[in-house]
Amino acid sequence: MLEAFAAWLGKTPLSAFMAGQGWAVPSVQTLHILAIAVVVSGVVILNLRVLGVVERGQPIGALAHRFVVPSTAAIGVLLVTGLLMIASEPDRALFRTVFWIKMGLLAAAMAATAGMLAGLRASPAWIDAGAAPPPLYKGLAAGLLLAWIAIIIAGRWIGYTEGWPGSPS
Amino acid sequence: MSLVGVVIDWLQATPLSGAIRESDWLFPAIECAHVIAFVTVVGSIFVVDLRLMGVASKARRIDELIAELLPITWTAFGIAAVAGLLLFVSKPVTYTQNFFFLGKMALLVLAAANMGVFHAFVQKSVAGAPAETPPPLSARASGAASLALWIAIVAFGRWIGFTTLG
Repeated sequence: MLEAFAAWLGKTPLSAFMAGQGWAVPSVQTLHILAIAVVVSGVVILNLRVLGVVERGQPIGALAHRFVVPSTAAIGVLLVTGLLMIASEPDRALFRTVFWIKMGLLAAAMAATAGMLAGLRASPAWIDAGAAPPPLYKGLAAGLLLAWIAIIIAGRWIGYTEGWPGSPS
Repeated sequence: MSLVGVVIDWLQATPLSGAIRESDWLFPAIECAHVIAFVTVVGSIFVVDLRLMGVASKARRIDELIAELLPITWTAFGIAAVAGLLLFVSKPVTYTQNFFFLGKMALLVLAAANMGVFHAFVQKSVAGAPAETPPPLSARASGAASLALWIAIVAFGRWIGFTTLG
């Protein structure tokens, strides 16, 4: 099914456009990296706040209010630009284990962030900058910082690995 | 040969340069550290730029926000700079002949100059100002210039990878 999708994608005008213009792939990659910077700023500041490292004078709810919408919007940009990169070379990412590890980590990180924020919303630390968040969420915040480091490494490694044996790549 | 040329050739001949160039995993591993660090640099700078422009974090005082985020920016910048230097050392002859590499270095100098002007002249005008005060034009200009320069730095950096293949 994945091979059929890659074959179909490779025949679309979008794929021809992405592969045919020399500037298209680097431009889309630049947008992808800028969107990562936006996500990472939110991830770093929010999780370091939960850990009590930065913005200690601000309640966690106020930081979530500032960073959740831009970071989520940037993930939307990442999905679109990621799909455009796949369209430029459909056999490249889809058949590499590290790409699916990245997607799995991304889904897990987004779910864990949603869970952490829902839990913190019910704790005093959401509106009281002086209240410490429960230790469970501090652990989760540390795990999320590591998960995003792993997501970026997995993303960069797509370009350096081989596809599955027998796959089109 | 010019002095710079001699230094570049010497650098390319060092064991460190050869080790990074010839290893299958060292260059990508250093590149990962470079990417993780510089997205943190750029992301944290964007937060401050958008605050200076009066677009985001409007409930935070400008001087307080800068004091909170500057340690993150500088720590990440240190890592990005060391990792970037190691990437450069692997192929100094190639990079010093690459338009986008030289352009990126020039843009970094401009971004540093913009930051210097901000800290020397503009920051005083916003120091102690309550969050409700609209940022002065000089602060908005500093933020907009920084935003544009860092977007260009990322673009030039990405283009280096496409013009130094082989």
